[in-house]
Amino acid sequence: MKFPFDLSFLTSSMISVMLFLFRIIVPILTAVVALKCFHSLRLGKRRESPVMVLEDMTTHQVIPVLYWENSIGRSRSCDVVLRDQTASRAHAVLMRRESGWFVSDTNSKAGTFVNGRKVLGRTPVCPGDVIAMGSTVLMLKSTEEVGAAPAQPPRRCAASPFGLLFLTFLTQALLALQVAFSKGKFSLSFLYPLAVLAVLEWALYLYSIKILGHVSFELETLAFLLCGIGLAIQSGVDLKSSWTQVTAIAAGIILYRIMIWFLGDMDRVMRWRTGIAVFALILFAVNLLFARSRNGARNWINYGSLSLQPSEFIKIAFILVGTSTLDRLQTYRNLSGFIGFSAICMGALFLMRDFGTACIFFVMFLIIAFMRSGSVRTIALALAVAAFGAFLILKIKPYVAQRFEVWRHVWEHTGDAGYQQVRVLSYSASGGMFGVGVGHGCLRDVFASTSDLVFGMVCEELGVVLAVIVVLILASLALYARSEASRSRSTLYSIAACTAGGVLLFQTCLNVFGATDVLPLTGVTLPFISLGGSSMVSVWGMLAFLKACDERTYAARRSRK
Amino acid sequence: MKTTGRRSLILIILTVAFFFGLSVFLYGLVTHGGAWAIQPFNGHLTGASTSSAGRVLDRNGTVLAQTKNGKRVYTDDLETRRAMLHAVGDSNGFISTGVQSVYCGELFGYNPITGLASPTGKSAGCDINLTLDASLCRLAREKLGDRNGVAAVYNYKTGEMLCMVSTPDFDPQNPPKDLDTNKAYSGAYLNKVLSSTFIPGSIFKTVTSAAAIENISDLDSRVWNCPGSITVNGNQITDIRSYGKLHFKDALAKSSNVAFAQIAIELGTERMSAEAQSMGFGHNFSLDGISCAKSSYSVKGASEDELGWSGVGQYTDLVNPFHFLVLMGAVANGGTPVMPYMVKSIVQPLGLPQKTGSGQMGSELLQPSTAERLKSYLRYNVTNQYGDSMFSNLAVCAKTGTGEVGGGKSPNCWMVGFSSNSSTPLAFVVLVENSSSGSLSSAGRIASSLMTAAAKVVS
Repeated sequence: MKFPFDLSFLTSSMISVMLFLFRIIVPILTAVVALKCFHSLRLGKRRESPVMVLEDMTTHQVIPVLYWENSIGRSRSCDVVLRDQTASRAHAVLMRRESGWFVSDTNSKAGTFVNGRKVLGRTPVCPGDVIAMGSTVLMLKSTEEVGAAPAQPPRRCAASPFGLLFLTFLTQALLALQVAFSKGKFSLSFLYPLAVLAVLEWALYLYSIKILGHVSFELETLAFLLCGIGLAIQSGVDLKSSWTQVTAIAAGIILYRIMIWFLGDMDRVMRWRTGIAVFALILFAVNLLFARSRNGARNWINYGSLSLQPSEFIKIAFILVGTSTLDRLQTYRNLSGFIGFSAICMGALFLMRDFGTACIFFVMFLIIAFMRSGSVRTIALALAVAAFGAFLILKIKPYVAQRFEVWRHVWEHTGDAGYQQVRVLSYSASGGMFGVGVGHGCLRDVFASTSDLVFGMVCEELGVVLAVIVVLILASLALYARSEASRSRSTLYSIAACTAGGVLLFQTCLNVFGATDVLPLTGVTLPFISLGGSSMVSVWGMLAFLKACDERTYAARRSRK
Repeated sequence: MKTTGRRSLILIILTVAFFFGLSVFLYGLVTHGGAWAIQPFNGHLTGASTSSAGRVLDRNGTVLAQTKNGKRVYTDDLETRRAMLHAVGDSNGFISTGVQSVYCGELFGYNPITGLASPTGKSAGCDINLTLDASLCRLAREKLGDRNGVAAVYNYKTGEMLCMVSTPDFDPQNPPKDLDTNKAYSGAYLNKVLSSTFIPGSIFKTVTSAAAIENISDLDSRVWNCPGSITVNGNQITDIRSYGKLHFKDALAKSSNVAFAQIAIELGTERMSAEAQSMGFGHNFSLDGISCAKSSYSVKGASEDELGWSGVGQYTDLVNPFHFLVLMGAVANGGTPVMPYMVKSIVQPLGLPQKTGSGQMGSELLQPSTAERLKSYLRYNVTNQYGDSMFSNLAVCAKTGTGEVGGGKSPNCWMVGFSSNSSTPLAFVVLVENSSSGSLSSAGRIASSLMTAAAKVVS
């Protein structure tokens, strides 16, 4: 006897409905994890209450010391303002380091004296010590001594790191189900890369929280959340590239930990800066000599089966070279060395015809230059030079100009210059709010779908809601870096984090808006999501800058001593 | 560090730019998502994908558009394809008023929430049945030939659109390469029945007539002197020849500009404007939710001679063909029209009807008594002027018009009207642009064959 209905149709429909429901749950979970992480980061932020105070020995006025690095001088922009005509505009810097408080004279005219002795280099100051600048004499005191409210202890995270990572893991499990059914039938082999990712995240969790005793894991959780989404998309397209992806994530995590350690000692960073700059330039030189051309840009170096994109690592070097502690900033105000370094980097990228990366370096330069100097004139000059450069590119490289011509007119070029963009738009709309399911998209067949067009892939296969949440997380990382700028342990961390956050957001803009015809550029990866080896590793490096900016990152280590 | 914190605000610029860009993308997605998705290259609509698009059929079940082997295929007959282009739409979404664009959600199973995906993984579009008759449209297009113009017929009792044709057109199956460059195709993306307005010429005299009926009590007993031309305000208003003394109905039948200019001047700007407004000028009509261009009559600040010209359908008068179709339906129907519709039904894959169209009563355009008298005058036009043999046994009431366009172009030749027989409740609008042969021999002939054929469709 035959059944009147085809039962296999029924089960496949049920699986479809289940996967669809999961695609509704994934963005909800992602949003919950992201909100909780950022909330926890906000709560973990130090209140701006003084730890120490400076007491003016003549007026007995009490000046709170709010930051880890405090500029002292006549200028109103200083953290401690001296009403003293004999003091220099930026006279000295009072710094808190792990071993205590220090003062540095920053090329002041009258000099700085601690307990009557002239300051040469960095000099430790203890509570009760007297710092003399010009005709002002200040005594360092702890807040308890003057009867002010005591500094509040740093607060713990709002949400438990374990809970957050577990939610992330759950989200990834739901994504894994999408991947498992990506070919229509359940298939376990597609899940291995995601399983490795799960092992990596729990391993890093145990290492950070249990072994190193860190209190915060929000940034890492967010990174794993994004990596999981990216990896799910890759696994649905091609298993081999998803192994590349997960390997890159593992390498990225190692780089991340190394950088967290390296950044732990600011003096070490400052000492190594010249070396790093030289190394970056050598890397560029090697790139220019040995690089292979791929899709018009000579930015790949092949070594055996390994292919590397040196410019991705130079990004990290660029930030390390550009950033600086406050005493250094105030002593050596001149930007020319950094401008020269940037110019060489940009020049090398032009020779490599990698204009997308050149754009990114330029934005990094702008952020660093502005945060170091605050000079609008420098920025304006840089923008003028950039405009000239852009004009030159358009003149010399007709294919770049072509992109500008079809910009906002892609629907008239569905077969040629607008090919990728119209497909991104069309398939993004086809996916609706919750996507057609991993592996069931059509954008995957378009060139560069998993890298430059990956935003469209997320829209099509997992839905525009999740895609928007992903880019909002990336934007929030930049905003987080900004909000920590005055709270971190040093301007070194602040400048680095703001630059890293800015670059992540800028890359997001180029990737998303280039693919969707909001901007005329394509060819940049979406952080944590796009398929990439070097770029994925480098993104974790960027995350390390954000992490270092969090005051709690290096607090745990001290508490263990 | 305070300064560093303040300088970090530079990131806000980037963030604002990011949110701006994201809004641009999302706004586009919300407003154009359907059009983005419904693309000929979209693999979800074609190929091995599980979703399949619905068909578009005419009133007799002739398949006008369907998806075969992943490709959108239009009906086999080239002439029918071209005739139905503006009603059905094309594959690129260029014709935004076609049902394939307007009903892309229903046809292709697209909606903003699930896109082209479906929770069950098995999605399919609905079929759309139109009230249009493909062979009638084909006939209209054949009669228009290579001339630009429009032709529309609807049943003023039921509201069913039977014919809606706009030329120039093109073959949606094989869009010509020079569509955007060749001047012969200029205006091909527009369904001019719905989306265009034209200088009406004498068909506007129906409006002036209605105003006269309502405002001049001794209309039928009055006599107008029509010596071939009169001078108003130093400007000449002319007829093609001298008619001598004319009663009102003969003035309308002979379409004397001299008489109607005098009537318009006598009525004045306020009463003329009020009548035009109540008859639907300046009103936004729509066909199944597709918004139409507004007809316009504006004599604000017009001099006396300009007011005269406005009464005969010149000056700044502009008329939308669909509006006049509705207006003819209203005259035929005692002043209040049954609004036309063209989507008969939208049927889900399993045969369940999702939407059924029907003719809704519109608002009153003329008073019943005005409609009745205007109807008798329009009937008199046909019996005494145009020749009743043009429309055998249909008792057609009609008005012709030649809208002078100027600029070295020949006039717009019109014929609008309806059959007053209760068995053939059909109203029509025919327009031939840039026609040198006179309205009766151009638009009239088309109307004649169209009405004869349409009568067979409804009977």
